[in-house]
Amino acid sequence: MKFFLILPFLFLAMNAFAEINSELSGNLEGQIRNTTNNPEADEAPLFQDWDNENFYMVYGNLNGKIEMGESRVEANWFVRYTKSDLYDPTTILGPRDPYLATQIFTFPNTLVARDIFQLQRKDQSGDHQTESVLNKFYYEIDLEENRIMFGRMYVNYGLGEIFNPINPFNQPTALTSVSQVAQGNDGVSFTYFASDEHTIQFLLLGDKRVEGYDGQIDWTLWAHGEYQATSKLQLDYVIGQDQNRNKLGGQVTYRFEEAMVFTQLLYQSQVINTNEDSNNLVDALLGFDQQLTNKWHVRFESGYQKQNRYAAVNGFGDRFLPTEYFLALANVYEAHPLFKVSATIVNDVKSGFCYLIGKGTFDLGHSMEAELFGFSPVAKGDDADNLAQKLVTTDVGLALRAFF
Amino acid sequence: MFKFLFRKDIVLCVALGANVNNADEWLKYQEKEMRGDRSQAQMVMTIRTPNWTRTLEIESDVEGKNQALSTIKSPAKEKGIRTLRIENNMWNYFPKLKKKIAVSSSMLLASWMGSDFTNDDVLKASSMADDYNHKFAAKDETINGEELKVIENTAKTNSKVMWPKIVAYNSKKDCLPRQYRYYDKEGTLKRTLSFSEIKTFDGHKIPTHWEMVPSDDKTKQTIIDYKSVKFKTTFKANHFSQKNLTGN
Repeated sequence: MKFFLILPFLFLAMNAFAEINSELSGNLEGQIRNTTNNPEADEAPLFQDWDNENFYMVYGNLNGKIEMGESRVEANWFVRYTKSDLYDPTTILGPRDPYLATQIFTFPNTLVARDIFQLQRKDQSGDHQTESVLNKFYYEIDLEENRIMFGRMYVNYGLGEIFNPINPFNQPTALTSVSQVAQGNDGVSFTYFASDEHTIQFLLLGDKRVEGYDGQIDWTLWAHGEYQATSKLQLDYVIGQDQNRNKLGGQVTYRFEEAMVFTQLLYQSQVINTNEDSNNLVDALLGFDQQLTNKWHVRFESGYQKQNRYAAVNGFGDRFLPTEYFLALANVYEAHPLFKVSATIVNDVKSGFCYLIGKGTFDLGHSMEAELFGFSPVAKGDDADNLAQKLVTTDVGLALRAFF
Repeated sequence: MFKFLFRKDIVLCVALGANVNNADEWLKYQEKEMRGDRSQAQMVMTIRTPNWTRTLEIESDVEGKNQALSTIKSPAKEKGIRTLRIENNMWNYFPKLKKKIAVSSSMLLASWMGSDFTNDDVLKASSMADDYNHKFAAKDETINGEELKVIENTAKTNSKVMWPKIVAYNSKKDCLPRQYRYYDKEGTLKRTLSFSEIKTFDGHKIPTHWEMVPSDDKTKQTIIDYKSVKFKTTFKANHFSQKNLTGN
């Protein structure tokens, strides 16, 4: 923890050297939400026996960057404090684990997707939880046609905002109430800028979390390429081994004059290096994006993800919403230069589960904004295999954000 | 012949010389002055209504007609966000999240950061000289006490521009525009851009104060003030590239 506290002073001190540029930035956000439980979550086998509660959250990022010519060091410290009676359920049988709904409110629950170095701490006691994570800390150098990065880094690619299967290293957060949050990944990145049209990024990442940090490292060896085939057509490809599965996939993006269409496909083999039974997995996405007028932006995404249906009772798995076949329509309308409204509706076509997310964001000036948000399942799912859909709550909340 | 040489137009708008009666040449001259072959500009954008004001600082790099890179310098929330345009393809880069996203070309018509300018305006995607047909209006008009040459610019049939018609009001003193009026397909005036405070940077005369007022809300305006413009600048070979976009 002392190391975290020293970081800001270290970055500021660097400005004393003329040839070194340093920068400190970040954001701080407070949220309050009132949440109402889905009555079906009260029943067996979920036993989420609560009705209505308040949930409070404060989180922030402190980002520091030092640049020296073609190389740079960058770090981000993420801290989050949450408080609610949902963390501290007591039944006639005594204390029990926190209610699962808290996992929705704090999504993404894990700020490091591939973790060797740990550099994080999470404490939950009584009715509150505290997290402190150094989720970005890397050294990067630009060479003539290459870029090398090592440490804990963000890996951010892929056009899917609701579902982005070709990138397992960063969960989409478009449906959540958080902003400016990304997941770190520990390892080495080598990017080769082959030409103006073709870039390939090679990743060697590791994860020790599976074995509790004391066991062996699960390695990820990954390649992601971007190829601009024509002025309108871009092809992305991914291939590698990640979390003990061989994976192969890609993204095709076609830009019309008025709109953009994209599709993703990811094949995952059975789990390798173990004797446990497993299945091949296939994820697919089809998306459409258009700026209808100078104030109205619309996006459509539909997809299929196989693995998430097995994440049911234990929680929400690694996605914000437990949907298998989904259709999503997202609209953003700039009602005023200081006020944006957005509405997203997600429908699981198999179960009938339908979820509505509405947000109104006000720019308060002085690098501050307020957001009023509402989340509600407008149609209940009837998929007995996907109990997690019954855990989704109805929430109304207010967030205040400051940027510096 | 003698009478022609002493026409008022030629005497006042010296820069265009013998081409003063050619609308195409007016537009070419303006674009050469205001856009140059390449430029690097530091500007401040102010979005203003009766109740509030918002200010952004932007660096805008432009090479020819096909390449542009803009970087937001302030405020803190948007600081570092970059937009790269190569021909009609656009990418946004959010450095704090290390996220690059391709955006559809329809985003060129989107409002830029809540202002009355569009991505097309800021990234200089369209060219008045190349994408429009030009002709002089029958009569000159007087705005703010100055008699101005009026040129009607109508989009060429094969051009991919946002505005089908733009009427330009041009000074006879320096041949530079004083006002653009933008019309939609129905011929309705949608917004008005006024230019003033002519200054010279690297031998190029440009208006440094731009005021955009939307027709549907005249209490609102977006102002761009150019603080500096370098026309005699060179960019690294890969300045308008994915590598530079995603570098810090």
